[in-house]
Amino acid sequence: MRKSFLIAGVALIAMAGSAAGWVATRAVPDAPPAASFAVLDAEKNEIGRYVVPADKDIFAQPNADEIIYGKRLLADTARLLPDNVGAAMNCNSCHLLDGKIDAANGYINTVNFYPRVMPRAGKEVDLETRINGCFQRSMNGRPLDREGREMKAMIAYMEWLRQGVAKEHRVDIVNAGPVDESLIPDPDNGKVIYAHKCAACHGVNGEGMRDQFGDIIFPPLWGDESFNIGAGLARTYKAAQFVKWAMPPAMQLDGQLGQGGVLTDQEAIDVSEYFTHMPRPDFAPKVNDWPNGNKPKDARY
Amino acid sequence: MRVLKLALLAGLSALAIGWGVAASTPYWFAPKQDRKVDIADPELIARGEYLARAGDCVACHTAPGGAPYAGGLGLQTPLGTIYATNITPDPETGIGSYDYGDFERAVRKGLRPDGVHLYPAMAFASYQVVSDADIEAMYAYFMSAVKPVAKQNQPTTIPWPASLRWPLAWWQLLFAQPRDFEAPQSDDPLVARGAYLVEGLAHCGACHTPRGLAYEEKALKDDGSGRFLSGSVLEGWYAKNLRNEDTGLVTWTEEELVTFLRTGRNKRTAAFGSMSDVVEHSLQYLGDDDLTAIARYLKSLPPRPGREQWKPKEDVTTAALRDGDFSAPGAMTYIEHCTACHRLDGKGAPEVYPALAGNSMVFADDPSSLIQVTLAGGRMPSTLGHSMAFTMPGFAHLSNADLAELMTFIRNGWGNHASAVTEADIARMRKEIAHKPVHYAPEAAQ
Repeated sequence: MRKSFLIAGVALIAMAGSAAGWVATRAVPDAPPAASFAVLDAEKNEIGRYVVPADKDIFAQPNADEIIYGKRLLADTARLLPDNVGAAMNCNSCHLLDGKIDAANGYINTVNFYPRVMPRAGKEVDLETRINGCFQRSMNGRPLDREGREMKAMIAYMEWLRQGVAKEHRVDIVNAGPVDESLIPDPDNGKVIYAHKCAACHGVNGEGMRDQFGDIIFPPLWGDESFNIGAGLARTYKAAQFVKWAMPPAMQLDGQLGQGGVLTDQEAIDVSEYFTHMPRPDFAPKVNDWPNGNKPKDARY
Repeated sequence: MRVLKLALLAGLSALAIGWGVAASTPYWFAPKQDRKVDIADPELIARGEYLARAGDCVACHTAPGGAPYAGGLGLQTPLGTIYATNITPDPETGIGSYDYGDFERAVRKGLRPDGVHLYPAMAFASYQVVSDADIEAMYAYFMSAVKPVAKQNQPTTIPWPASLRWPLAWWQLLFAQPRDFEAPQSDDPLVARGAYLVEGLAHCGACHTPRGLAYEEKALKDDGSGRFLSGSVLEGWYAKNLRNEDTGLVTWTEEELVTFLRTGRNKRTAAFGSMSDVVEHSLQYLGDDDLTAIARYLKSLPPRPGREQWKPKEDVTTAALRDGDFSAPGAMTYIEHCTACHRLDGKGAPEVYPALAGNSMVFADDPSSLIQVTLAGGRMPSTLGHSMAFTMPGFAHLSNADLAELMTFIRNGWGNHASAVTEADIARMRKEIAHKPVHYAPEAAQ
């Protein structure tokens, strides 16, 4: 009798002990390992991994103030640089989420991409020139001082974002996903799609939406405050790539903005034909574009 | 030994009496009504359809992707999963063989024609106050206008002896005593109409009223205890406090409430989780008069003592973020992941992205919904007026530490004030989300 009590007691203590041990060692659920992109060399061989850095990491940088200023300029361009921005647009209107997303005009490879010969300019373009191209076309405004604090701050943000990936290497992301450019746009269908899928944010008349301070929430897609005819986004197929892969946001339960994946290639091309060809500001220096020919088929002039 | 025998005898007698009483309730507690209903009357059918919408029968009695009212949606309980039944008029597998008395007794008393007691997953405790005229209309609708579907009911996964149904009779005797609707004291007929809908068909209390140990709602009407619609947690969602007080609805106008009920969105907030389904399947179809009645009744629910006011504190967040001061704990994470939609001023974009400033879901006493929607994401309802069902993507890829800091920042930014969210809170919700039940019976298992 006493022996069986003893055995029962020992068994009980052993069970309690192992239960306590199990509770103590059980992993607390936390975030999965960070997602990463391949880093490719010139021959497209993977030579490492790139993890999109958290913004908190900026605080640890020696030039943290400059990087944060650049980040703010990219996000709040129209408010912070009213003399340079003519349109009701911010850089991040097209470069979604501070340029950290694949297929949404990221800034991750930007520093490493320039200088390069661009067909539209017909000559070598450096990063400052490229940024100022955006200010004159997409932002329908005036160029920044190439040596100024603002230009340096924007580039400092992009420099931080590349996380030391060497100049000749690339992070394996794209500016925009593909659409089938053999498809013929139907702007009448585009108008219907615009009303159903775009107008809730960009307005029934393409006027966009502003907040309590008058700052832009959703940019106007046509009219005097939209991007001018010289912008890449004024081209049907280029706009369609963005529309298909990056628009609308807040449609999925995953992805950083839940963006894209709503329209077919045809629908994206139809709606892009519709809104890009609505009235918008002209771009006088357009006469200098594509000096060596090779104009894309959706060029506007 | 003698004592043991006596105790055993007493126990068996109690069990026998318990069973006997349970078996007898169909005869005295829930006697069957005898009434003829003209199920071919088109007006009655149309009214029944509207009322079935108001009751949101389709939400539980339809499996995701399944035929309407054919059942199969699973409801998780601590003992196992209960599957909603086929309530199409199929005579073999549905309710096609029910006469009016059978239908009435199932809906209002929780009793099947064969004398089996229904689980309180069915909201009969709420439906008791529904008028005879409304039950008749719904009977006409279900019998004449719902498409019959032959689909066997899925048995529960609750093991024996917990699967015995007769003890449910005692639950009904204790917590679902028959009662008639009593209109609250008010000169406004809309308040009475609102109370009738909220307590009855709309069964708002099923999610929004706290439940007791026996799964009973602690109040089935506004009984002076202040517990009715005071907020409750179900499946990791906090169904918010709907009383006209601090973290309830005191900051909402009647008009904002009506807009929310009809579209699942307004300038302040957006529906997600189960409420998104309620708007999509039920509330968007209700008339303006009924939605206004619901809103006015909710706004008439008196605050509990000491909980009248909710005043925002001074907003220092908007100016700091607009000036580029991201030094507050959690602010940089907010700037990185949230501002693109919820904006520097925490106001979002009206009817597209919900505001965080002044949004009582954000600073609710219980942060469960905020945590769950941030981890797993959420989707607004798609309605006739607003076909774009915007989502919030999930942020489970952020660490518990970042998320806790971020949510504490949000709950205390822009004038909000609420308790901090801890890393343990986030970890707990990750577990809850990982163990979510599959909400339908796999067709293969049928």
